Amino acid sequence: MIIDGYCVLGVDREYDLTAQALLPAMDAAGVDRAVIAPVDRWLAVDNRRGNDYVLQAAAAHPGRFIPACSANPWYGEAGVDEFRRALSEGARLLVLHPMVQGYLANDELVWPLLEAAREARVPVYIHTGPPGSSSPWQITDLAERYPAVDFIMGHSGSTDFWNDVNDATLAAENIYLESSLARPFAFVPRLDVVGAHRGIMGSFAPNSDFGFEWRQIRQAVPADLFSQVCGGNLRRLLEKRGAL
Amino acid sequence: MIVDCHTHWGTMWTERYGEDPATWLATLDRYGLTHALVFGLDNMVRLDLCQADNNRLARLADKGAGRLIPFGTAWPQMGNAGVEEARRCVEDLGMRGLKFHPWLQGFSTADPTFGAICGLAGELKVPVTLHDGTPCYSLPEQMAGLARRFPKTQFVLSHSGLLWNWRSALEAARRPNIWLCLCGPHMRASEELCARADPGRLLWGSDFGFSFADPIGYRLAAFQESRIDDRLKEQILGVNPLRLLEAR
Repeated sequence: MIIDGYCVLGVDREYDLTAQALLPAMDAAGVDRAVIAPVDRWLAVDNRRGNDYVLQAAAAHPGRFIPACSANPWYGEAGVDEFRRALSEGARLLVLHPMVQGYLANDELVWPLLEAAREARVPVYIHTGPPGSSSPWQITDLAERYPAVDFIMGHSGSTDFWNDVNDATLAAENIYLESSLARPFAFVPRLDVVGAHRGIMGSFAPNSDFGFEWRQIRQAVPADLFSQVCGGNLRRLLEKRGAL
Repeated sequence: MIVDCHTHWGTMWTERYGEDPATWLATLDRYGLTHALVFGLDNMVRLDLCQADNNRLARLADKGAGRLIPFGTAWPQMGNAGVEEARRCVEDLGMRGLKFHPWLQGFSTADPTFGAICGLAGELKVPVTLHDGTPCYSLPEQMAGLARRFPKTQFVLSHSGLLWNWRSALEAARRPNIWLCLCGPHMRASEELCARADPGRLLWGSDFGFSFADPIGYRLAAFQESRIDDRLKEQILGVNPLRLLEAR
């Protein structure tokens, strides 16, 4: 099963990806399923609206999308309630975006959501990169504190935390690297260091073009690792909660 | 003509090829790139290698049949000697611009000696290119601050804010002496920058040469496949770089 590990579904500001556009792009690229997450605005505020949007898109196209939900940790208990509601309706990942949502990645503010993710056995995708609210070593802090939670380091710290990524990843077994924005020419060699079992292909469409990114990654990932990096690793994490 | 406005002659290249740019240039050939603004790397990570690497860049350019357009650097920590090294790069070595990496080189854009260098660049009519997109010394708004203080100097944001600060780069580009190099933002951000910034002050670059990794193929294809008007693409790749350099 070939899976795109991160797409953003919705129309807002620079985002303009709809299910109607994504599905044929997936077919053309030979991608079976795609993780879909809400746009930035709905990560920051009005989480329920964003979660419902991706949940409804997934429900409307069975077997194609994997809904990723979010709750801004600043909502506290209400945020945890919203996360659990989205899980009950089919969400399979938790998305955190410290820069957009307004905290440092390793702030204790996120602990209740991570505890809920641990209970639900769902992976946590965290956007990383400059300016500094979400760095690789902050993800390591979280991974150490929650060893039973799988953390996906979105964008692999791209770009200017690139120095830190390998050591920070190797410091905890439950950290996985997502490829989007990290560019294939830099991402693929990193797998030699951290292990191919940690690599997860994501396009981050529509910020990056879906078809373009899949053409590039197909050229860059060795054939014997392709199914693992481009679906198998993420599937293994997702199915801890149950079959897809 | 296609000009890559962000390349390096990195340490690894010296170690493997000495001062022979043939292999480096062959990589450009593979993608149809005709010219490149080439920066050092040794000269931005080690103060003690600064002059030697500047000299090396000049010699490489001599061997590059006019295709390599060298940009030197200096270290504000050297005080007046840093200012004089910047002058030497332009007046003695014939360099067409100056490149700084405040994060790697460890100085603030508020450093008075750096200010003197920026003023000198304005007098000598050469652009100053700066790494940008990274706190705490290399943010687009800090570059815009320089542009306000030195209105006669042309500043190039070498990464247009990288991946997460491109909106700040767009704000910085309101200053008429700020140029944006599309070398870092994702495809959608590049499209937004092309739609909203002054089309006459946009450049493209790959960051090739920092190591042996080849980023040109990915970055040039991403640029070519982006939703940017074809005429603007041509302007960015071939016309604007010449305008940047023509003042001198």
